[in-house]
Amino acid sequence: MRVNPNPMPDLLAALNRTRQDTQEALLELSSGRRVNQPSDDPAAAAILVQNHDQTTVTARYLQSLSSIQGQFQTADSALNSVILVMQRALTLGVEGANGTLSDTDRAAVAAELQGIQDQLISLGNTSFQGRALFAGTLTNSPPFVKDNTVASGVRYDGNDAVNAVQIGDGYQIAVNKPGSQLFVAPGHDVFQAMTGLIKAMQSNSGFTAAMTALRDAFDYTSGQRVFYGNTMNQAQSQSTYLGSAKLQLSQQENTLAAADVAGAASRLVNSETATNATLAAIGRISQLSLFDFLK
Amino acid sequence: MSGLLGSLSIALSSLIANQQALETSANNVANVNTPGFSRQRPVMIAGDPVVLGRLSFGTGVVMQKLESLRDPILELRLNQESQTQGQLDSTLSALQQVQVTFSGTDSGIGDAISKFFDSVQQLSTDPTSLSLRQGVLTAAGNLATSFNTASHNLQTQRSNLDLNVVQTVGEINTLTPQIAALNQQITTFENVHQDASALIDQRGALIRQLSSLVDVSVIQTEHGITLTTSNGTPLVAQERSFQLTTQIAAGGIHKIFAGTVDITGLIPAGKLGGLLDVRDNRIPALQASLDQLAAGLATALNTAHRSGFDLNGTAGTDLFVPPAAGGAGAAAALSVAITDPTLLAASSDGTPGSNGNLAVISAVHDQAVAAGQKPLDFYSRLVFQVGSDTANAAADLSASQLILRQLEDQRASISGVSLDEEAANIVRYQTAYQAAARVISTVNTLLDTAVNLGT
Repeated sequence: MRVNPNPMPDLLAALNRTRQDTQEALLELSSGRRVNQPSDDPAAAAILVQNHDQTTVTARYLQSLSSIQGQFQTADSALNSVILVMQRALTLGVEGANGTLSDTDRAAVAAELQGIQDQLISLGNTSFQGRALFAGTLTNSPPFVKDNTVASGVRYDGNDAVNAVQIGDGYQIAVNKPGSQLFVAPGHDVFQAMTGLIKAMQSNSGFTAAMTALRDAFDYTSGQRVFYGNTMNQAQSQSTYLGSAKLQLSQQENTLAAADVAGAASRLVNSETATNATLAAIGRISQLSLFDFLK
Repeated sequence: MSGLLGSLSIALSSLIANQQALETSANNVANVNTPGFSRQRPVMIAGDPVVLGRLSFGTGVVMQKLESLRDPILELRLNQESQTQGQLDSTLSALQQVQVTFSGTDSGIGDAISKFFDSVQQLSTDPTSLSLRQGVLTAAGNLATSFNTASHNLQTQRSNLDLNVVQTVGEINTLTPQIAALNQQITTFENVHQDASALIDQRGALIRQLSSLVDVSVIQTEHGITLTTSNGTPLVAQERSFQLTTQIAAGGIHKIFAGTVDITGLIPAGKLGGLLDVRDNRIPALQASLDQLAAGLATALNTAHRSGFDLNGTAGTDLFVPPAAGGAGAAAALSVAITDPTLLAASSDGTPGSNGNLAVISAVHDQAVAAGQKPLDFYSRLVFQVGSDTANAAADLSASQLILRQLEDQRASISGVSLDEEAANIVRYQTAYQAAARVISTVNTLLDTAVNLGT
């Protein structure tokens, strides 16, 4: 059978193919990515869109955790101070109740208790980055205001609402505890108890009831502090989990999109060899025909 | 007729025939690089014999014809494959430009959607912060811009393709009159039984060129050939050619007319077919998908946003300018409706510090907003579709290129000029010519002997 007498177009097409292979291998090596365009691997490109989103979301959960942590620490240390000053109030109450103090001394103790009351109000109004931490969601103004028209002498201007922040897919944690639950819970009102003790101190009577009420408020508030400890623990373990999730996502991204360096390098070498061989073939065939041998 | 003078005439016929054969070889060698050229072969036959008594004597050699070696069926297959290749070529290069809009996971619509929900989550840790509120508005603006840009890019590519369509129609219109003119010349030659081989080759090459532009059916009649598109629109009928025209239509794109008939949707193959497919089907489908996603996402976010309260305790308004009913043009028109960060409805109960409504807005991330799919699921499927369309076109194109190469090989194995063959033939013709010349010189000697017998 007669063969194609001019193999040049075939060789040029082959040369074009090998050069294209070289280019693709070079692009993969230089970009460090296997999937540069959706057509490089459509399925991987689609998964990469999801992977990128999940990576963004996970990084956000981690950042949310660290930004609520500052708020938690401030709230927790405020509550710690509340407990310390209440302990002082209890000590003062015991001293006042044992009947050895003069009227002048009791007046001085009452004044110190009043100071503690003011300190408690100030702690109740603790804010973080301009937001009142114990005001529910009415965070733009101090929740505890002195008001002689109410029995405890302190009015709560906050609300009972709780904010939640997402720290995982479908995983939200409450990030505040309203002052209405911490300081002025019905039956455990800290300010009411303090006012009762101050009055007992001033009138030198009713110590037992006042001390019982203050102890009760103290126990209750100490108990409430656990919320912050628990939440911080949850945040800690969630942040460990998110760290490993983030790592997994980046591994997946790597598996899907990163260049197969060894593979690309060997394809580069192969295509270069093929190019050289084709070039050599073109160099040889083009020169010879029977005309060269006829004299 | 016999005798020495007869031998002289036989030798002369050999000289003539071999000289003509040599010319044929020379012409083949000259056209070794001419595209579409079919090599010619001299067909020599023995001259009619003369009978003398019981003997019949040969009368030399006659050059009967020059035969062009070509396979019409193969030419037809080549034309068809050229159409396929032309179509895939233009489809692929258009799709490669289209997919740029959808490549890169760190930019574009997918990233903008992720970043928007990210900014909302960030605000939820500090819902009264004005800078974080501004961050959400900026992310919403970027989301809108990413849709605008993608839509704009697709529209630009569509306009470029349209320009290309008009140019291609122009190319077709310059080819068809040339083919018609060749048809006429060929008919003229053939009517007087002359060899039109070179013209047929030229016409074949032009038909190949035309085939790569548009789907062409070749109908051979006794009066020449007729070219039509596959839906029957005549392009060339023997000596006449018919121009295609373009007219600008709604949406700023050109429709193609044959006479008064709109044939825009009736061109399935060739470069023109590929261009029209991407311009009129694939890009509009992608635009519609983007519109669907933009409209669905904006509507869902607006609903979520309206369910909350802004920093002043007022009920939330639309976050995005509501997309037109039906969603047409939503991607191009998407824009943020509010500019004041205090108007962002983060609160679920009207108190400024509440972040309850941000959870509602965040939930849109996992809500079915377009074709029953979540925003990023929808988008990633779009990326997959664009990628796989492009990858398929690339694979089809390299398959078609391979087929075309093989067909070209086959064609060249029949019609291509081989220099080796021609060299061998030239030696043969030369030898025959020299032999005939030797015969003449021998006859001359004999005649000389006969004439000078008396001396």
